[in-house]
Parts: sequence; C-alpha cells; structure tokens
Amino acid sequence: MNVVLTAVVTCVAILTGILTATAWLIWFERKFSGRMQSRLGPTMVGPSGLAQPVADLVKLLQKEDVVPEAADRALFDLAPKLAALCALGAAAVVPFSATVVGAKIDLGVLFLLAIGAVTVMPVFMAGWASNNKFALLGGMRALAQSISYEVPLVLSAMVPVILAGSMDVSKIVEAQTRDGWYLIDPVWLGLPAFGLFLLAMLAESNRIPFDIPEAESELVAGVTTEYGGMKFALFYLGEYVHTLVASAVASALFLGGWDGPFAPGLHWMVAKTVGLFVFVYWMRWSLLRFRSDQLMRICWYWLVPLAVALLLGAGAWVVL
Amino acid sequence: MSERANLDTGASWTHPLYATLEKLPGVSLGLASVDDLLAWGLTNSLWVFPMATSCCGIELMAAAASRIDLDRMGTIVRGTPRQCDVMVVAGTITVKMAPRVLKLWEQMPEPKWCIAMGSCAISGDFYRNLYSVIPGIDTVIPVDVYIPGCPPNPEALMHGLLRLQEKVHARRRGEKVDRDPNPDLIRVTQPAIPRVCERDLGRNDELSKLQADQAGRVTEEQMCPAVDVPFEPPPPATPVFAPDFEGLLRELGVAVAADGPPLVPVERHFEFARRLKELGYRQLVSIVATHWLAGTGRAGKEEGASEHLEVAYVLRTVGPGSRLATWAVRVAPDQPIPSLVPLYAGADWQEREQFDLVGARFAGHPDLRRLMMAENYPGHPLRRDFPIDAHCAPWR
Repeated sequence: MNVVLTAVVTCVAILTGILTATAWLIWFERKFSGRMQSRLGPTMVGPSGLAQPVADLVKLLQKEDVVPEAADRALFDLAPKLAALCALGAAAVVPFSATVVGAKIDLGVLFLLAIGAVTVMPVFMAGWASNNKFALLGGMRALAQSISYEVPLVLSAMVPVILAGSMDVSKIVEAQTRDGWYLIDPVWLGLPAFGLFLLAMLAESNRIPFDIPEAESELVAGVTTEYGGMKFALFYLGEYVHTLVASAVASALFLGGWDGPFAPGLHWMVAKTVGLFVFVYWMRWSLLRFRSDQLMRICWYWLVPLAVALLLGAGAWVVL
Repeated sequence: MSERANLDTGASWTHPLYATLEKLPGVSLGLASVDDLLAWGLTNSLWVFPMATSCCGIELMAAAASRIDLDRMGTIVRGTPRQCDVMVVAGTITVKMAPRVLKLWEQMPEPKWCIAMGSCAISGDFYRNLYSVIPGIDTVIPVDVYIPGCPPNPEALMHGLLRLQEKVHARRRGEKVDRDPNPDLIRVTQPAIPRVCERDLGRNDELSKLQADQAGRVTEEQMCPAVDVPFEPPPPATPVFAPDFEGLLRELGVAVAADGPPLVPVERHFEFARRLKELGYRQLVSIVATHWLAGTGRAGKEEGASEHLEVAYVLRTVGPGSRLATWAVRVAPDQPIPSLVPLYAGADWQEREQFDLVGARFAGHPDLRRLMMAENYPGHPLRRDFPIDAHCAPWR
C-alpha cells in the first residue's frame, strides 16, 4: 500500500510539475522571443503577462470543436491525446533526483528511445486523418525526418550507456557522480556525442532549424492545420513537453543529472533541464529552417557516420 | 420553430433548466463570475487570422512587430483559421475573393469575431463602385469592429482590438454594446511623441527658428556640391536585324492607317502573325481589346459603324535594337478571332483576360475560361454597355 501511495504521489507530483512548468515555459518563450526581436512579449494579462498561458487555456477550452467532414474521425480525435500522452510517458523514467523518479526500470534508456520513436506516430496520424494536403505533407515530412534522425539519436545515446555500462538512467547519473560528467570526461567523446544528441533531439521534437513538418510559411500550420481549440492545445503541449523531457534526458545522460555542489539534486536537475530548454528556444528564434533535402543530407552524410565513430570510440575507451 | 427564431436573433431565450438554476440562491452570482472568467480568457487571447490583401496588411504586420507588439495583449497571428478567433480583413476584397473569405470565415471555430480594417474593408472606399470590388466586407460576413483609416496605423489596430475586448466583455454580461468610443481609449491613437508636421512649423516658433538657423549656416555649395562625372555617350546600338514590317504590309495588301495600328482582315490575322514571327518578332507583348458601340470607333464618332470589337496586338523583337510591330483586328462582338496560342504561348492568359473583361472570343484557344473575374460573374465588365451600377453580385 505504501509503495503504491508513494508511486502515485510521485507520478502526480512529476506530472503536475511538468505541466505547470510547460505552461510557464511557454510564457517564458514568448517573453524571450519578444526580447530577441526588441519587443516586450505579453505584458497586459497579469503581472508581466504571467497569466497569459491561463488566458490562452481558458480561451482554447471555449472554442468550438471542428472536425472536417471528410476526416477520419477516430484517428483525428485520437492523435492529439496520443501526442500528449507519448510526450508525458517519456517523463516516467527520467530521474529528477536520486529519489524523485516515476519508474525505476533497468532498460530506462531503451524505454526513452522507444517512446521518443513512437512520438512520430500521432503526428503522422494527425496528418493523415485531417484529410488536408498541407497536414498530410507535414505528416510525411515528420515521418521521414524522425526515422532518419532516430539513428544518430540512438547511437549518441549509446555512448553514455557504454561508458556507464548500464541502461538504467539513474545508474548512468550515479556513474557520472562517481567518474565525472560525460560531457567533459572524456571530452573528445562526450562533447561531440552531446552535440549530436542535442541536434537529433531538436529534429525529433520538430524544432527550428528542423521544423519542416510545421513550416508555417509553406504548409499553413503543417500537421496541426485542421486542429483548433483543445486538440491544438494538446499538440502544442505535447511538443513542449517532448522538448522538456528530451532536455531532461540530455542533462541526465551527459550533464550529470542531479549531480552538483551546494544545492539539492532536484534543483540541479531542474536548472540543467531549463538551461537546455532555453538553449533550444535560442536556436528556435535565431536560426532559419533547413530544406528537406538538406536535412536528410546532414543526417546521413555527417551525423550518422560521426555517431558510428563515436560509438566505436566509446567501446575502445571502455575496453582499453 | 419559434424558439429557433428567438435563438437566431439573440433575444432573451434561456434554456428552462438554466432559468430554474438561476433562481437558486447564489447561483447567479457564481455564474456571473464564471462568465467573467470565460470572457477574461476570450479577450486576453485573441489570435488573429490575417486576411491581408493590400496595404493594410503591412500595417497589420507592423502591429505584430517591435514598437507596437500585439503580443503584449496576448494576440498572436496564426496561419490556419482553425486556431484563430479574430479575422482581421485588411484590404480590398474583390468579387472573386469574397466567397473565399466567406469560406475561411466559416472554417473558424466559434466564438469568433471580425474586424474590418481600413476603408476598403469597411466600405470599398473609392473602389466601391468598381465592377470587381465588393462594397465593404460586412456585405459578406458580420463585422464587430470597424477601424477607419487608409490604412489605419498600428495603434489604431490595437485600439480596435481593445474595443473588441470591451465588446466581448459587455456581451458576456448581457449588456448592450455602446457605440460611442470610450474616451479613455482615444489616447491610444494619439502617440506619446507628437509628430511634427508642416502645419505645426508655423506655430512652433522655436522649431522654425532652429530650422531657419540651420538653413542659414549651410551654404548652397555645401547643400549641393557640384560633381564632375565624365560622360561618355554609349555607342549607338546596331540592330541585329531590321525586319521589314512595312514590306509585309505591302505584300499582304494591308493599308497603313493614319489614326492607329493597321487593320488586318480577320481571315488573314493568323497568317500575318505567323509571318511576323518568321521575321523575328518573337515576343508577344500584349493583346488589348476595346469595345465600340454602334456609331463609334477608334476615331471617336464613326458614322455608320456597327457595334464591334477592336483587338490590338503588339509584338516585339528580342535583343538590342528591339522593334515593335502592331496591328489590329476588327470583329463583330460575337465573331471568333483565330487564337495566337499555337504561335505564342504567352497569348494564353492574355486572350483569357480579354475574353474575361471584354468578351472577345478566340477560336482555337485551348482553355478559354475567365481569368480575373469570379467564375459566375455575369457579363464582361469592360464592355461599354455594361451598367456601371450592375447588380453583378448578390450582395450589391
């Protein structure tokens, strides 16, 4: 009973934390992008526009639910829920501190990668079910992109796994606490693997410069073209949660997770995650978008060979 | 049926259950606060669908950019109507565009509002009586806020959005929406930094003195220093070839007209164009059809002339020393003219345009459809007997 209670409390705490954090991070992104473009961002709703996400949510809740006549109704309804679910599901195995972790499973990294790979399913589902050419094009692009970038993502995530000798995320963090963060120890292996992971992560969560599935200048709004109201909100939420969880995973695998001096582990983990998340924003509001073919070329000509080399390097480092 | 009618007019029809609930103590107060919360959400997250067709669209963009920044009030611009709450119609809406605007409007989920930005969207402005423009977007979709101006500046757009917020709040509280502007909001349109315009210069002594001082200190030479740029006249262009247009006219027996392009008989028109192409006139510049009523013609009044179309063609040689060739064909309004599409691919849309606007019929054109006007447009608007106040669209 006690175990169940602890699990439930932990899950609820993590979910609430992530959802709340996402809402205010969206606010933060709007302020941040505003500052980058010498604007102010939201200021009028609540102090410094802090109530903006709440207002958006209240509005989206009131919007009419429009389903296109020729859409595949079941899939159309399922896709946004699945998108949010997949993104949140990945958070289960992320250790936010030595004790705050939803599920301790031995194959945590494998679970994360698997869930990350499934995330493309609802996106393509939405594209297909909308029966809209822009949505379908967006879905096809998302599919091609995710499958391609899955390869460097998995290979670069294998580097810390090999170095730590475990697939349990908590064990990887513990190993880093013992041996030093994999980002800098060994630096010739960790730094490129981290960069690769970050790039592939950007591509997986369809962020600029890899946001060709959304590409609002050419595809209206990509896969979410036919979605409004709460369904769109779920997609939006899923996208942000995905990025947030991926940032958390990157900091656990490469930046030592909860490891850090002077402060409790949870603080360090949150700080690292948010830092990476802000970095992703920074990319988003600074860079342009790649073309589809450039995207593929970068992946298969550069990232995959580099990832394979790093994997071999990691093996050699451990063996020698 | 009668209930339905009540619903449509927005008259005071309430669901019986709701009416019973409202009588319970405290419920109406609670409902009022819920209503306030809902209205607060609606008004503070007005996502804009930019129906921007002309210069007002530029002001709309400026309103979203730095300095004005619509994002301050939570307003962002989304590309798909499904995610938008306010359609800002910024620009002239044509007869052909109107059904598309209506369609996009219908794609937007309720609750939704429309802002008519600028005089064209409000009334059609000086295009109002034009054959191709609808007199105001409110003839097609319901408009909540009108923003006057040509174009309105971004501050005015923001003012309009604030007025829309008031309106939404008032509607939620069941109040009648006040038509007079709120004096507190007027200052939005008055910039904090006053602009100096010419009429202020006379009144503002200090400023005019300053300007006079500066003008006195600058000599004419400083203001406009002489620059010596050596000028070499370009070498005279030598034509690659000088096609013998007059010779062709003589060969085909076409008289040179004093008051316009030579008139080619319609039977020889295609042959004439083919010969010209062989001579080197490889580019079709334009096709212009003009409609003349009985008794009129290219010279103005022409006694005994029947109603006719005069279709003028302009060809050009490509390269240095370019030459033009022009001729015209005179046909009865319904008489077909041989199409030049087999010779010039560029004739395709030109002929479609002339068919659309003047009603010239081109025989042998692969796809003679309307090009500019709406598909169901009645008649050809550039014919001289086309009534200027035609009821050419259901909303006129």
